[in-house]
Amino acid sequence: MAFDTFDPRMKMVAERALAHCRQQFGGNGLCIEQGINSAISWRPTFFCRPTSRSIVGIEVADNLYPEILKVAAHDIGIYDAPIAVYQACSLDAYQKDTKQTKVNQLRQDGIGIITVDEDGRAIIQHPCVPIAQLIPEPRLENEIRNLTSKLKVSFRAAHKTYQTNIGQGLQQAGQIVEAIVNSMAAQAVKKGHIATIPARAAVADIIDALYQENRLKDHRAALGAARSFIKEFRNTASHPAKTAKRAAEKMRKCRDGFYEAIETSTKLQKVFSAMGYTLTVHITH
Amino acid sequence: MNTTKKTALKELSPDQIFQNPANPRMFFRPEELDTLLGSIRRYGVQVPISVYQDGNRFILIDGERRWRCAKKLNLKQMPALVQEKPTPLENLLLMFNIHALREQWDYLTIAKSLPDVIQLYHSENGRDPNEIELSELTGLTRGQIRRCKYLLDLPRKYVKVLEQELHLPKASQQLSEDFFIEMERSLKTIQNRVPSAVANLDIARDALIYKFRAGTIGNITDFRKLSKIATSISNVGAKELRVRSALKDILDPNKKTGIEEVYAQRFELQYDQRKVSLTIDSIFEYLEIAGEHEEAINPDLRNKLVELKTRIERVLGL
Repeated sequence: MAFDTFDPRMKMVAERALAHCRQQFGGNGLCIEQGINSAISWRPTFFCRPTSRSIVGIEVADNLYPEILKVAAHDIGIYDAPIAVYQACSLDAYQKDTKQTKVNQLRQDGIGIITVDEDGRAIIQHPCVPIAQLIPEPRLENEIRNLTSKLKVSFRAAHKTYQTNIGQGLQQAGQIVEAIVNSMAAQAVKKGHIATIPARAAVADIIDALYQENRLKDHRAALGAARSFIKEFRNTASHPAKTAKRAAEKMRKCRDGFYEAIETSTKLQKVFSAMGYTLTVHITH
Repeated sequence: MNTTKKTALKELSPDQIFQNPANPRMFFRPEELDTLLGSIRRYGVQVPISVYQDGNRFILIDGERRWRCAKKLNLKQMPALVQEKPTPLENLLLMFNIHALREQWDYLTIAKSLPDVIQLYHSENGRDPNEIELSELTGLTRGQIRRCKYLLDLPRKYVKVLEQELHLPKASQQLSEDFFIEMERSLKTIQNRVPSAVANLDIARDALIYKFRAGTIGNITDFRKLSKIATSISNVGAKELRVRSALKDILDPNKKTGIEEVYAQRFELQYDQRKVSLTIDSIFEYLEIAGEHEEAINPDLRNKLVELKTRIERVLGL
């Protein structure tokens, strides 16, 4: 019988969480107390497959952030399919975490929370994204800490988009890099370091023009990084994934791309200071 | 019980293993499981679980927590000692002995299983086991068995309250098994000594639970003072009317009267007097012996006795 290792109270939490997830994600591929894959050291209380390319796993437990979810988070992060993880608990257990310490830990690690109250009402308190896609906010803030305020704001906006649409989020991050390159080119033209660039020139061509300029030769590493970023990630978002494996790969690639965009922007920003350029970005999302 | 049954060590899939319906253990605290899970994750299942084969299934005798962790960790196999199928009484006693020797089950778990042990023993031996036999069979001390009996006699609704508490993490528990055992023990004393103070036991229980939750009763050990209040008629010569009134105040849910304050204000002095009186009796006894043996009073003791005499004269105005 399902959930028979739970006490009656937790059994009710499990049953209500299951009913709620059926509504939210559909009952496709529903498995109860079975492993997702032998490569993952976690047997969720139940999991389902909302689409052929995604899995949602739910762990029912009243101790917030149980050890098993820490184990699971690692295995899932490297698994070949995007898996979103929720912890379902009683509303009482959720409210007892008065300082939200555990709740925040779960959220930061990309785990969503479903609560079930005494009357059996289930609510998603915190939604989540597949772990392979996760860019936690504290990590984002750390990555962008050396950027200008305007760039920080732009990356935060891109991150917000990324959380609901990884492709668009990465595209926005890429637009920030392009804007910085364009600004650098405009400054280089203004200072007579390079010749005027045609209005609709491709970013790759602009980077090439900057790369060839002798006065920028000390900054070729940064320009090279920008070029490889454009080449590598520009089209990542455009190709829809056909399988779960490809979807997970795409997520990881988008996540890596997002971090790469920040790193590239940081490097390019340093060029501005070194060359005495003024950074003016115009981003139209 | 046959102790020469064959066992074999095997690697079994956790999915082949099933809970033992006779397992008295009902409460698995999440924090304990978490610690074990972390250990199994790092080092694997180091100690094989015990099972017996029943058709193509394996039934747990010992190691339910390890089995739960292995399942949760999605392990493909785990080591298990496969024993021969025991008789129902052997099955239950095996688990009792394994757990009573190695780790303490919750009293409620034991309490709920004792009637099964008694019944199975009865069907094998034609009579109930006495307390000593029950202790030998289960590996429990007689004191533990008596404590279990308090829980066994609890009305269903209070067992339910206790079960709910036992499922909570230890830090969140308010009412423990010890609470119910101490409360029941004191209520039994009241019933025996001052029956007129408890018109309805459940109302008394509800009042005590309410006052404990509200902090009016601050400690489980206060129930021992409640017993002392009930026995004060015979122990320190308290007036029955006074004792009854004190008990009624404590057992009245509408009065914010705790056990400690009633005991301290109305009975503690009498008990202290009794204690001093008993101590004096023992001094008398010693002095009588000392009269016959000179060496019984050394200089240090002599000084203390002289000091005692001086203080007594001062306090009594002699």
